[in-house]
Amino acid sequence: MQVLAFEAIGTDWRVETAEPLGVDVAAAVAERIEFFDSTWSRFRADSLVARIAKQPGTWRFPADAPALFALYRELYEATDGAVNPLVGRSLERLGYDAAYSLRPSGAAAPAPAWDDAIAWNGESLATIAPVVLDVGAAGKGYLVDLVGDVLRVHGVSDFVIDASGDIVHAGSGQTRVALEHPLDSSKAIGVVALANGALCASASNRRAWGTGLHHVVDATTGLPTSSVIATWVMAPSGLVADGLATGLFFAPAERFGALGDFQWARMFSTGRVEHSAQFDGELFL
Amino acid sequence: MMVMTFPPPRNETLVPQLPMKIALSAAAALTLAGSLAACSTPAGTTEDTATGAEDAAANEEPYTDGTYSANGSYDSPNGTESLDVTLTLEGDVVTDVEVVGNGDNPDSKRYQAEFIGGIADVVVGKDIDELAVDRVAGSSLSSNGFNAALEDIKSQASA
Repeated sequence: MQVLAFEAIGTDWRVETAEPLGVDVAAAVAERIEFFDSTWSRFRADSLVARIAKQPGTWRFPADAPALFALYRELYEATDGAVNPLVGRSLERLGYDAAYSLRPSGAAAPAPAWDDAIAWNGESLATIAPVVLDVGAAGKGYLVDLVGDVLRVHGVSDFVIDASGDIVHAGSGQTRVALEHPLDSSKAIGVVALANGALCASASNRRAWGTGLHHVVDATTGLPTSSVIATWVMAPSGLVADGLATGLFFAPAERFGALGDFQWARMFSTGRVEHSAQFDGELFL
Repeated sequence: MMVMTFPPPRNETLVPQLPMKIALSAAAALTLAGSLAACSTPAGTTEDTATGAEDAAANEEPYTDGTYSANGSYDSPNGTESLDVTLTLEGDVVTDVEVVGNGDNPDSKRYQAEFIGGIADVVVGKDIDELAVDRVAGSSLSSNGFNAALEDIKSQASA
């Protein structure tokens, strides 16, 4: 097995393939990630999202946007607005800002309601005020899909891409993934064998910077959520798996039927775990 | 020091009931807050910055191995609910967690929809070292920039 390991969008990536990736393929992967980041990153001043945060307007997005906005709309409706791409300002208020100040700067701020603040027509986003988009609920899983597309274009069909918890497997074989216990990183609550699909994990202590301060924020209140503390989702794509991994913090699985078949588990703050009827793997319950 | 910061369900207000069954040291209390309840600030409050940073720094301190218990109650829309929490610490790691709640509220029942294949109370899990796996999906793999910033804040807080 060959591994291409690198850091991008602030986290560690591993691309595993049978044969070493050519320099041209590695460069194409880096270029794809850079392009995505230059559109969607809330953490760099030159991104499209950073410009949208400064003034209202009508903003043309690249070809990767429609799928992401469509997924976000589904999540938004299924969670009664708790998952909302306009949650960026809420996160900034809690200290999760571009400078990583990690210090709250005032009272919690709910995100604007989608239809009050923005309109997406499939190509462009109209904003009536400066808004801070944050696609953290599904962006990284989606980017794993997009990197997989780059590999396929270059003739690489068997691979595992692991972007620190957002994992896509393609081709022959499988990859065995431990589901880390959110309260004890030395333990797993289960193991799944992932084959030709995506697994995304989310935990509220993953990016926590103080008691009760973490990145899984309810957009309707602007406050971190506390009932569910970790989720795992297997779905055909990283986009859907990552989005659902966030969505399941705020709503039960049956609310997300529009997103197709998926398998899931989630842990509550009480230590209780619930999971889908179909679960291709082992849970140590 | 309020120990019972065990996170209540969303939109519910935590009202700790003191005293605890047994006295906890401040360090153990922080472990309870840090490990179990990393996401427990009740609605309507925001963390005092310095306190939050000190908590994070204090979590670096070693804790005494042993088993700790606490009882707490909180008001929920379903009435007052109580929890008994027992933690076992070994080498600064929570090795066992037992939570006994009254667990009979309508919310709990709502989750038992047919869509759900199963529910297990207080899952402890197995040692990852003993599992044959290729990788791990979970919370220990955080973002690098975020971690660097967090370390910086902690060092400022302890300076």
